[in-house]
Amino acid sequence: MNYFELMGFGPNGWGLPMIQAATMTLRVALAAFVVGLALGGLGAWAKLSGSRFARGAADVYTTVIRGIPDLLVIYLFYFGGSAVLGAIGKWFGATGFVGMPAFATGAIAVGLVSGAYQTEVLRGAFMAIAKGELEAARAVGMPPLLMFRRIIVPQVARYAIPGLGNVWQLILKESALISVTGLVELLRQAQIGAGSTRQPFYFFLTAAALYLVLTTLSTIIFERLETRAMRGVRRA
Amino acid sequence: MKEAIRVKNLTKRFGALDVLRGIDLAAHEGEAIAILGSSGSGKSTMLRCINLLEIPTGGDVIVAGEQIAFKEKGGARLPADRRQVDRIRSELGMVFQSFNLWSHMTVLQNVMEAPVHVLKRPAAEVKEEAMGLLAKVGIADKAGHYPSHLSGGQQQRAAIARALAMRPKAMLFDEPTSALDPELVGEVLRVIRGLAEEGRTMLIVTHEMNFARDVASRIVFLDKGVIDAQGTPAEMFNGGGSERFRQFTAKQNA
Amino acid sequence: MDFAFLLECFERLLPGIPMTLKLAGFSLLIGLVLAVLLAMARLSGIVVLEWFSRAYVFVFRGTPLLVQLFLIYYGLGQFPAIRQTFLWPFLREPYWCTLLALSLNTAAYGAEIVRGGLLSVAAGQVEAARACGMSGWLLYRRIVFPQALRQALPAYGSEIILMVKATSLASVVTLLELTGIAHKLISESFRAIEVFIVAGAIYLAINFVITRAVAWGERRLSPDRPADPLPSLPAA
Repeated sequence: MNYFELMGFGPNGWGLPMIQAATMTLRVALAAFVVGLALGGLGAWAKLSGSRFARGAADVYTTVIRGIPDLLVIYLFYFGGSAVLGAIGKWFGATGFVGMPAFATGAIAVGLVSGAYQTEVLRGAFMAIAKGELEAARAVGMPPLLMFRRIIVPQVARYAIPGLGNVWQLILKESALISVTGLVELLRQAQIGAGSTRQPFYFFLTAAALYLVLTTLSTIIFERLETRAMRGVRRA
Repeated sequence: MKEAIRVKNLTKRFGALDVLRGIDLAAHEGEAIAILGSSGSGKSTMLRCINLLEIPTGGDVIVAGEQIAFKEKGGARLPADRRQVDRIRSELGMVFQSFNLWSHMTVLQNVMEAPVHVLKRPAAEVKEEAMGLLAKVGIADKAGHYPSHLSGGQQQRAAIARALAMRPKAMLFDEPTSALDPELVGEVLRVIRGLAEEGRTMLIVTHEMNFARDVASRIVFLDKGVIDAQGTPAEMFNGGGSERFRQFTAKQNA
Repeated sequence: MDFAFLLECFERLLPGIPMTLKLAGFSLLIGLVLAVLLAMARLSGIVVLEWFSRAYVFVFRGTPLLVQLFLIYYGLGQFPAIRQTFLWPFLREPYWCTLLALSLNTAAYGAEIVRGGLLSVAAGQVEAARACGMSGWLLYRRIVFPQALRQALPAYGSEIILMVKATSLASVVTLLELTGIAHKLISESFRAIEVFIVAGAIYLAINFVITRAVAWGERRLSPDRPADPLPSLPAA
């Protein structure tokens, strides 16, 4: 079978499974991004707060995560989570290995890692807001919650877009590691196909091409977002 | 005449530095008070104590007859009622030296923001009033522009419109022209003069001596954290005032 | 906390350290050479070279490292032509495949860092040098490279740490570096958390040493400027 038959959409073609796996990659990456955004928001708030404990905890989080390989984190959640689930299962009389749901494992593990980077991005974005604008909000009688909603959040969103775009690209690529949990995202699907047809090069080449499509589209989208968001700002 | 703003024995200390050492001042309705003094005399600090952007270490602040309540907490003095502070701030209009327009909103949105979201007034009504104010300060054509597209003078006029939109009982100007290029100072001073002639209550911290003399109904001269001299422009500028005030004006004119 | 077990983990993980460091070290070295070549190609002014460099960086930065590794380790074996060359003894070994994949990958990121460093040398500095009659190799050696190095070092420090973390992928192709041994330990003992703590601590220690070394390097190069306390995230 030549390459085009192999990757086509015919009866023996692997085109459809590969594309479906690519959407799985997108789904798990999005889930991880959301987890990371929540953690990043928490972390940035902790680092900017007055509490020494909060700042210390956030520092530990970012330093540890940025120094440890993502694969190790994935193994921790997968095996560690399975151990926890297994213990719970034993309570109910089940025996044997209870595997952690692969999607959740991947999303949480990669989300945890990206949260450390998103903390720095959001923190930097907040510090980029001119202090005078916050003062003007206070001077006009805005209560803190209103100021957060109307002044802080929109501006953090703007300034954070380039950094968040970087983090998104990272997540997209790191999602390939989730294949070790068995989740059928793009790389796993390519492995399955390669094993089945003994044509690993074609499959991994296709996987690479699909990843390239995803990352390129992401770059374009984020550039658009950035232009739109920065329309009021005069850059230095 | 009713008192719009009253401060009694206001003191403010930063660390070991006593910036304000007992200020007693009453601003009556309709008065335009120019506050002069050299750097470090405490003029901006005093202004910022009135709308609580700085918390005075001691003394009373009374706005439109309402006294701001303070409490002690952990050795520091804090406002007792957060909502009172927000309310009082919404009754005072502040114009900053560095304009401080919100950069993610257009000029019109800047002016409409607080009336709609803090005072909860209906947007359509606020919009009409806002456009009127922008026309009044001379930048109606810039309503849809972002602050970064405006010159310094235009931005400051927008900031004045933003303060006016709150229908404040009194206006506080913190060195409104100090950050402007000389050619742009005039247009802002013209707007402020217009407001004074309308009879608005205002406190203006400024370096512009001629402006102070022409527009203010009262001059207050701060020196080393206390009011050294005060009086009408006629009294102060014609050899009256105190020795230190005379030295100050001589240095400014030099 | 079972300290005896932690100690046992540590002892069993120790042999993984040399492998991790070897992989990281050699791939960084080879990658750096390639990165400089790529950067020079990109700035050469010769259209073909520029396009090649851009395409290389685009592909290697837009696809996951794991996919690149699989392409080389599993993929190349698909072609009988390759199996017959003198390269085959190398290309079927996980060690050489990993080294190749890591080198090619870091070359792409390094190229952008080097290019950024070269471009950041202020035009005025170069003009002043030319005005003294400097040109060509002398100009590069005395003026451009020292300044470019100064600029690029913080970003490159980040890349070094990322590479150390990237060596963990070698475990997926059966190499027994740190993560590989950790994986084995976890699947034997099911005590994921303890193994994670020890392995993570070792990685953190390695990265701490690297961060200090880079900071020292920065201080040596610019005695007038303070060193970057924490390497920041490089552009994806």
